[in-house]
Amino acid sequence: MDQSVAIQETLAEGEYCIIQAVQGVLCEGDSRQSRLLGLVRYRLEHGGQEHALFLYTHRRMAITGDDVSLDQIVPVSRDFTLEEVCPDGDLYVLGADVTVQLDTAELSLTLQLPFGSHTRMFLQEVARACPGFDPANPDPEFLWLSRYKCAEPKLESPTPGGWNSAPGTRPVCATIGGGSYPSRKRVWGLEEKFGLRDTIVKSLLAQKEGEYTDIQNFRFFVGTYNVNGQSPKECLRPWLSHGAQAPDVYCVGFQELDLSKEAFFFHDTPKEEEWFKAVSESLHPDAKYAKVKLIRLVGIMLLLYVRQEHAAYISEVDAETVGTGIMGRMGNKGGVAIRFRFHNTSICVVNSHLAAHMEEYERRNQDYKDICSRMQFCQVDPDLPPLTISKHDVILWLGDLNYRIEELDVEKVKKLIEAKDFETLYGYDQLRNQLAAKTVFEGFTEGTLTFQPTYKYDTGSDDWDTSEKCRAPAWCDRVLWKGKDVTQLSYQSHMALKTSDHKPVSSVFDIGVKVINEELYRKILEEIVRSLDKMENANIPSVSLSKREFCFQNVKYMQLQVESFTIHNGQVPCRFEFIRKPDDESYCKQWLSANPSKGFLLPDSDIEIELELFVNKTTATKLNSGEDKIEDILVLHLERGKDYFLPVSGNYLPSCFGSPIHTLCYMREPILDLPRETVSKLTLMPVWTEGDSSQLESPLEIPKELWMMVDHLYRNAVQQEDLFQQPGLRSEFEHIRDCLDTGMIDNLSASNHSVAEALLLFLESLPEPVVCYSAYRSCLECSGNYMASKQVISTLPTFYKNVFNYLMAFLQELLKNSAKNHLDENILASIFGSLLLRNPAGHQKLEMAEKKKAQEFIHQFLCNPL
Amino acid sequence: MATAPYNYSYIFKYIIIVMADCPHTIGVEFGTRIIEVSGQKIKLQIWDTAGQERFRAVTRSYYRGAAGALMVYDITRRSTYNHLSSWLTDARNLTNPNTVIILIGNKADLEAQRDVTYEEAKQFAEENGLLFLEASAKTGENVEDAFLEAAKKIYQNIQDGSLDLNAAESGVQHKPSAPQGGRLTSEPQPQREGCGC
Repeated sequence: MDQSVAIQETLAEGEYCIIQAVQGVLCEGDSRQSRLLGLVRYRLEHGGQEHALFLYTHRRMAITGDDVSLDQIVPVSRDFTLEEVCPDGDLYVLGADVTVQLDTAELSLTLQLPFGSHTRMFLQEVARACPGFDPANPDPEFLWLSRYKCAEPKLESPTPGGWNSAPGTRPVCATIGGGSYPSRKRVWGLEEKFGLRDTIVKSLLAQKEGEYTDIQNFRFFVGTYNVNGQSPKECLRPWLSHGAQAPDVYCVGFQELDLSKEAFFFHDTPKEEEWFKAVSESLHPDAKYAKVKLIRLVGIMLLLYVRQEHAAYISEVDAETVGTGIMGRMGNKGGVAIRFRFHNTSICVVNSHLAAHMEEYERRNQDYKDICSRMQFCQVDPDLPPLTISKHDVILWLGDLNYRIEELDVEKVKKLIEAKDFETLYGYDQLRNQLAAKTVFEGFTEGTLTFQPTYKYDTGSDDWDTSEKCRAPAWCDRVLWKGKDVTQLSYQSHMALKTSDHKPVSSVFDIGVKVINEELYRKILEEIVRSLDKMENANIPSVSLSKREFCFQNVKYMQLQVESFTIHNGQVPCRFEFIRKPDDESYCKQWLSANPSKGFLLPDSDIEIELELFVNKTTATKLNSGEDKIEDILVLHLERGKDYFLPVSGNYLPSCFGSPIHTLCYMREPILDLPRETVSKLTLMPVWTEGDSSQLESPLEIPKELWMMVDHLYRNAVQQEDLFQQPGLRSEFEHIRDCLDTGMIDNLSASNHSVAEALLLFLESLPEPVVCYSAYRSCLECSGNYMASKQVISTLPTFYKNVFNYLMAFLQELLKNSAKNHLDENILASIFGSLLLRNPAGHQKLEMAEKKKAQEFIHQFLCNPL
Repeated sequence: MATAPYNYSYIFKYIIIVMADCPHTIGVEFGTRIIEVSGQKIKLQIWDTAGQERFRAVTRSYYRGAAGALMVYDITRRSTYNHLSSWLTDARNLTNPNTVIILIGNKADLEAQRDVTYEEAKQFAEENGLLFLEASAKTGENVEDAFLEAAKKIYQNIQDGSLDLNAAESGVQHKPSAPQGGRLTSEPQPQREGCGC
């Protein structure tokens, strides 16, 4: 009976009880109260949905909304957790009940839920309903629950604020590696989701089972009793405790427990408790037993007990029912089953009540097949197909199978019984014949029948049925088994019991169970885990590098050097990237680059990486001063894998390019002839040095390198057509740079255009422009006022002023030859304007207006006498 | 997600610094393994690097978010032992106060060539509040113990609440997520399907 129907009747529009309700026990201290749990979904108007658990008090079996009354609501909020707990002191393996703890920021509830697939499905659904921790999703607000808040006086609000946590009070989740993680509690459902590794371990363990288990015999008692709707009236010991030795496991089945209509329609009967009690009291007195499980379908009930000392070795208990009665579904006929693992052996016990009547043996065969195909147990791993009866190491099948004795009339049967000629009688047994024809119970074995038929007697006697129907005696009540290492010790009926029109049957077995040798098990488990670790680690990408250390010798200004190496990938496809160290802006120093700096490699493939080193105006000064060195460590990172450190080293040859004007003025020698420390010290000298330069050698008026270039142009190029407008040659630039830095100016042989370009590069590479940054604004302001402009220039540091005037004089000289070289004031002003005046903010893109003013400023000096 | 080969309750990040003058690795090796502490499966994410002075600056970035730091020296080479204090300073400064630091004397199988006594190192460890044991990577002796000892201590810190999992750099993740190979930064990486096993 699906009790969610009753819950649904109490809900408002838009709210749905989305899964069959579960009846559980709410534990508060010592109190135990039954509650009906419904998982309710509410669809929000803007899309999206929210969930809450509704807990109801209820009548014994809720059918309509009147039978339930709302007790409390637990919103499935972000801080909601549901975890399975082991109640203290209890033998959790008895497993009948699942104890779960519900927690939110406001409350904590402990609930016991019945074991089985309904509970499991319910819990999985709840786990799925959790809003998760995706920050993109809005926090659930649970506005829809507000109608329950006041209207329902029974709803306890632990705090005036109610259960709905105010924004901001939600506990902050750990963020590690950018992700968010829920509370530290084991969240229900997690294990299932991430169970693949477990599944692998399990299947490998199963493969090697023989290596760590020993077969040990355990005694199983299997009994079946059709009680014909009666209540227990006599002690069951003659049936259940007839042996000298106390069994390890009891499997006790009943049929026709309750023949009333109530039991049939509402699945509820007081007989269950009565018979359970009667059995519990009649178990073997020499041992203490624990109930593992009770399962009942209308009148078909199965009980499983183990000796207490074995309880810890019982696991994976599940129970299911299959009805094969009216419409093929109802529970007046059918079967119930309990499956479990005992030590390492999986066992399934089935109790069935098959179709009645002499001629219906094919119906009975069909019932058997239906039970086999429809009886499905949950797997711990939801990805695996459900477990069926046949997938067990040992199957014990008991019950009122209802097979009759055919082809003999009643008198003949009774005669054979009287003569105790059971062998002859057995020849007419339908089950025997169907077994022989392999139409039912294939692979099952039954022991020899050495007892008289157990059906049908006059109740309270050992007399055969004297009613009008006068049923022929039959072996209706049977026990069969399937599996290895099963030895039947006895198979008998118990005539002493007279409560029913059937006699109970019992069979005692010794069953060889695979018992784990803990030490060997540990060892093999360890091996498996290690091998999985190994496999996992083998799937971490790994590459080999043709070269791991890079040295760049004698690096010069604007001279590209390239070192290349090959990344050879191993067997795992991988993404690689040079990564940034935390405090750095880029994965390497500015003067270096890796090409490509990231990429993807297929297994066993190669890629060539070029490390390019190029020092330009931005990086040269600090290399001259020694503030920076040709030293770096690149970190080559493989996604999901290791990192490689690639050290880069080398030496830089200082150059006049990138050196400040005043520094060069103090260098009377070529820069490369000076000791490294001197270059470094002079480069670090501040722009305004005039005051304290006494200890230094008397400086030059302007940098000798500038003089050399200008002088060369003055002597060779004043009439050169398109001077400063044609590009030079890269090779010639390198030659010019070397001549300047070594002072070998006499060797200089280069085209005029190359020298002109070198001059422009020189001005461009100055860390402090000729018109110092500090004078930039005032220059732009007085542009157009020649006198004021001259005034600003006069405030520049001496060397800068000298260089400015020197350059202007040279440019005026060039203009005198404009007929030949085609230069005019505008061309020169536009070229030199942006080199001599530079925006201190260093913006590459100057505003047109600003550029124009800079050109105008230079223009004045070109067309006016200096 | 269902195909990801993980199931464990926690992920601990370990950094191993092997004091070395001639390194076994230039860079950071990355590996994982699963161990069990108090019935809890714990996945270790292990960053393994050589404690070479020239890489000290780069190595610093790997301490971040480590739950355990394993400092390994060679008992047959005193020079490796002498390096410890500067690296220990890094480990202390760059990890959170609850990071478990364990000192490991390697090559315990080479007793004849021993250059650092057990007692001396033990005392150093005690003075600095470190766990200490000697191990042999060659024979495997105590190597497993080193991982376990550190994990036990971390787990204990979680249990008694002194390690706050919600703290950004506890080095412990409670819920499995994509392994983050030796990323220097803590940016999240797109998860890739686990293809292994």
